[in-house]
Amino acid sequence: MIEIRGLTYSYPEADNPALENISLDIREGELVLLIGPTGSGKSTFLYCLNGLIPHIFAGDIRGEIRVNGFSPKETSVADMAKNVGTVFQNPESQIFMLRIEDDVAFGCENLMMPREDVIARRDTAMMDMGLVDVRHESTQTLSGGMKQRLAISSIYAMGPKVFLFDEPTADLDVKGRSEFIEIVSKLKRRGHTILVAEHRYEDLLPFANKIIAFDKGQIFRGVKAVNPFNQEMKQKTCDMDTTLEVELKDVTFSYDKKGGRKVLEGINIAVKKGELVAVCGDNGSGKTTLLKIMAGVLRSDNGSVRVSGCDNPRIEDVVGKVGFLFQNPDEQLFNDSVEEELMFGPRQLEKNIDVEQYLGKTNLAEARKRHPQSLSRGQRQLLAVFSVLAMEPQVVLLDEPTTGLDDESWHNLFGILRELSNSGKTVLFTTHHEKAKKYADRLITIDRGRVAGSEISR
Amino acid sequence: MTGAGLQAVKYLDKITVFHRLDPRTKILLSIGYACMIVILDSPLNLFLLFLATFACFLAMGPSVSYIKAALKIMAIAFLATMISQGFFYYFEPRTPLLVLLNKDSGPIGRFTGGISLYKEGLTYGMIQSMRLFSATLISMVVVMSTYPSDLVLGLKKLGIPEKIGFMLTVSIRFLPVLTEEAKRIMIAQRLRGLRLKGMRGNFKGFRYLIIPLIIDSLRQARRIALAAEVRGYTGKRTEVRELKFTRLDCALLLAAIVILGAAIKYRFSL
Repeated sequence: MIEIRGLTYSYPEADNPALENISLDIREGELVLLIGPTGSGKSTFLYCLNGLIPHIFAGDIRGEIRVNGFSPKETSVADMAKNVGTVFQNPESQIFMLRIEDDVAFGCENLMMPREDVIARRDTAMMDMGLVDVRHESTQTLSGGMKQRLAISSIYAMGPKVFLFDEPTADLDVKGRSEFIEIVSKLKRRGHTILVAEHRYEDLLPFANKIIAFDKGQIFRGVKAVNPFNQEMKQKTCDMDTTLEVELKDVTFSYDKKGGRKVLEGINIAVKKGELVAVCGDNGSGKTTLLKIMAGVLRSDNGSVRVSGCDNPRIEDVVGKVGFLFQNPDEQLFNDSVEEELMFGPRQLEKNIDVEQYLGKTNLAEARKRHPQSLSRGQRQLLAVFSVLAMEPQVVLLDEPTTGLDDESWHNLFGILRELSNSGKTVLFTTHHEKAKKYADRLITIDRGRVAGSEISR
Repeated sequence: MTGAGLQAVKYLDKITVFHRLDPRTKILLSIGYACMIVILDSPLNLFLLFLATFACFLAMGPSVSYIKAALKIMAIAFLATMISQGFFYYFEPRTPLLVLLNKDSGPIGRFTGGISLYKEGLTYGMIQSMRLFSATLISMVVVMSTYPSDLVLGLKKLGIPEKIGFMLTVSIRFLPVLTEEAKRIMIAQRLRGLRLKGMRGNFKGFRYLIIPLIIDSLRQARRIALAAEVRGYTGKRTEVRELKFTRLDCALLLAAIVILGAAIKYRFSL
């Protein structure tokens, strides 16, 4: 189904090739996992198969590619789309229409299929993907998992034989991820050829025929899948302080104050100084809301909140004592240079900090004058973390800090959090990754707005 | 703020006469309506038009708090327009109703040429605010009764190029995403200790908001563009959704033409 001989590609003005001398064959109906760190060439490889390279991304491409008999180099992206369907990481940016059924039809309409054909394909796709019941609903209010299901359906309706998935579950929670796996196994049963580029692929292994490991643009075949998480984590090195740093008693919260659905109900949580706590739960369970209440971004309807000695805090009461990090680092980098970004918070608080120390920790001393938004995703995440830490907060709250990180950045981040906790800072982070939970001292599970469990990790 | 109540001018999922109309009819009627607003020039006629429009607005079945907020804003705007037009009316002839400052009294009087409230100014203010309210209300009725993508489809069927229609749809689709993001950035600023006070503070906050917002929108735009490419978007497409012209549409359009014609005849005494 896919034949590649001697594929080498360099992005315009890049010094090194992004892909180097790749040759491989993928047979019809196979499911292939593409693994490797960020920047290793997984996405670039997929772009070569669907024609985004060289039609959208210019650059120097050499070698032979055949997908279902077509050469992406000589076929337009739209014509390739009939053979190769591509699903990206971010579900939000793959939905164009306002009604679900319109969005499923979107791709077919673009291919100029006759109207009756589009309708038939749209209806079959909705049937196969389980969207019939919600067909008239708005695309705006769907969960992440449903959005990704919709994105896949709209591609599926176009009838491609090959599916390419570029980190399809990085933005999804556990439920969304299991939905995705269900869809992929269905596609495989129907004989589609599937390529999935993913960081976390353990649960896809049972379906995989091949694993291709990418590193610096080259591939290594027949690699045995290694679990990157069995490395020993540093354990707690100091004795636990018994002072309570965060204490929530009987906290209730709803966004709609006029008797709307309660997002949190009867929450009792106590976190000791120096603890590293993972707050787990599905999307919509209320875990982010919980952290926002601790940071004073939202205020509880009932009950008492005590954080770092402040009762029922507002943001302004706990600035400097409590640091809060949103999921997307880009929404928190608003200065013109790395240096200014780090000094921004302390300057507002009129605190003096040793900026060199933080530049060293972020490994960004050389890039101090660069614009924060010009850094790589991993670097931006690290900078966002440290520009919060530079304010020297006692309590650090992080909302889904692992989104979009590869294994290396992931390890870096948890190294930093562990170090913080060892130096007596209290750290809470929300996560929906099973593996992230291993790094914490304690797990608090939130289910539909209530504390469903609190257990010491290991 | 009173504005908070009116923030949500959006599609209402109901079945009213206006919902049943073809989007094209609504667009054409709005254009005719805009002409009417300009053609009519007496306060009484404009007031009648306003009343009719307000009745249409009520027929949409907005909530009581929504109506209250709308009335409150209109009352404030009405007074503000009347008073400002009353004082600053500069066309002749003008009849002073109330003289605040004579033109011979002191330097301010000489400088301004006197300050008085003019009768013609009040009338002019009344006319302008009636026009403004009618235009606002009719666009609210259209927005509340037409599903956004149907409105775009209507525009396309009336000859707006496909690519512009697509841009409109994508804007409608991503506007809420963008406002959510702006909110998060502003909270992130406060969490980093930024305190905004007064004009200067707002200006500073805007500077810190606009840069991440633009850069992230560009990233988002790139992702959207790639997703559109792999969905084969080229600007030419079949359209599954169709619009139907009913007898109701024809009747209303016909009536609109007759009324507009009568208004033109009356105004220009043809």
